[in-house]
Amino acid sequence: MKYEMVCGMETHIELATKTKIFCGCTTEFGGAPNTHCCPVCTGQPGSLPILNRRVVEYAVRAGLAVNCKINNNSHMDRKNYVYPDLPKAYQISQFDEPICEHGYIELDSGKRIGITRIHIEEDAGKLVHEQGTTYIDYNRGGVPLIEIVSEPDISTPEEAREYAEKLQLIMRYVGISDCKMQEGSMRCDVNLSLRPVGTTEFGTRTETKNINSLSNIVKAMNREIERQEDILESGGHIVQATMRYDANTDEIYPMRTKENSDDYRYFPDPDILRFTIPQEFVDETKANLPELPSAKLRRYIDDMKLPESTARDIYKYRRVSEFLDDTVKKGANVKNTANLIIGGIYSTLETEEDKERFDIKITPEKMAGLVKLIDDKKINKNKGQETLMKMLESGDDVTKFIKAEDTAGMSDEDLAKICEAAVAANPDAVENVRNGRDKAINVIFGYVMRETRGKADMGKVNKIIRGLIG
Amino acid sequence: MALSKEDFDKLAVLSRLRFSPEEAEEFRNEMDDIIAFADTINNAVSGGTDDIKNTSVNAVAYTALREDAVRESLPNEKILSNVDGSRGFFNVKRCVK
Repeated sequence: MKYEMVCGMETHIELATKTKIFCGCTTEFGGAPNTHCCPVCTGQPGSLPILNRRVVEYAVRAGLAVNCKINNNSHMDRKNYVYPDLPKAYQISQFDEPICEHGYIELDSGKRIGITRIHIEEDAGKLVHEQGTTYIDYNRGGVPLIEIVSEPDISTPEEAREYAEKLQLIMRYVGISDCKMQEGSMRCDVNLSLRPVGTTEFGTRTETKNINSLSNIVKAMNREIERQEDILESGGHIVQATMRYDANTDEIYPMRTKENSDDYRYFPDPDILRFTIPQEFVDETKANLPELPSAKLRRYIDDMKLPESTARDIYKYRRVSEFLDDTVKKGANVKNTANLIIGGIYSTLETEEDKERFDIKITPEKMAGLVKLIDDKKINKNKGQETLMKMLESGDDVTKFIKAEDTAGMSDEDLAKICEAAVAANPDAVENVRNGRDKAINVIFGYVMRETRGKADMGKVNKIIRGLIG
Repeated sequence: MALSKEDFDKLAVLSRLRFSPEEAEEFRNEMDDIIAFADTINNAVSGGTDDIKNTSVNAVAYTALREDAVRESLPNEKILSNVDGSRGFFNVKRCVK
């Protein structure tokens, strides 16, 4: 029998607030165990949680960025479960009045993946299991999260990956989280079931938890599809369970049988007042949203005429795209800027994370100063690239490396004279080119570049020399 | 009785609690009284809990919520002063097999 996959995702994203969701403890990553803790986030009797305003603001921003409707009234609920990562034996979350509902993300194919809801909640503590003891660190306990729940609209592992990638980029663009999957500030759970092709009823689903990279989403889903197929083919039934994917062994195995939503015994948290989110605030937030990734990509391709691959290489890092935009605003040509970023700056930034951080020594002003020399054909692209590397090293302005006399306009007559000299000085090369060994022309180009100290416009040189050789 | 024995036993499992048969009967009765009390309140409001939920009485505007400013946390010794702890951690019996 042939099966098709039905999949929805739950994505947890840690919000980049300074403090935890219900107390003033810092959210800083790391720190000695249990040093970012207080009576509230360790669940001491008598302590009272007070909701952090910025958490609500960030959730609204996140919701608007993925086309959600924002509820003007909302409240917090208690989700009860007993496990040592949660000192109160309940997590403060949201059940029936999440801040955001009914949104969507559009994939490149145009297909929309619905977003059911986005709610706010507290993160749990971290457990370390050793021999007979479990060690608990509550530094992460109470760090604010949003949980983004998708509709079961995802039909392939590749769509799941694209959905997660788009979500990550959007949340980085609106500045609510760094969304680092490796560090756990973005975590994806995949709900997956199979059904015979052509049927409409959902099969029993499993939830694969805490997948920690985009590529592992695809791998984990492929393993789970295989596992479920094997069970169904041999006449068995899928048991609703939580699965864990081990990236080291590329294996998937069940963690625990899952509690039903009923088992969490949700009820409104009586310690926290209901809150209202005025429509004026929602409208204002919407008006102030930055340009979103999909709009930026369209602008790069349609308005700025960048090749699609170049546009994608730039827009997928928020800081890089801002750097490009700012450099262009200073008067630099967009194509020359993009090429220098990809061909030059990226070569100094090894990892994805380095590119994401984009911690470089030069400002858009300095970059524009260099690019404009290329735009005006005062230096050629190679010279530009070479100078860029020096600027990235020292952080100095372009004038430190290229003197005014280097870029003083060279008349076409002067250039023609140098080209004539170059042809005259390299009779062998000329002969070779005439005999069809076109590469030999580089010898002549090299002569011109030496004589002009790299400032000659190669387009012009090429034309003149080919004219001379005939 | 509103709370069945099965419901009670399931709640006990979810709460990681164990009761002797006598204790179970005693607590089930007590819980039943509490539920009955909640029902009384529920019935006193026309429209039930939905009505309570939909009123914005007692709601705060998000602007009145806490400002996102860091306050000092408690020292680690203080956090661990009433618990079984070591190396700065809370310690419990290993909770995974």
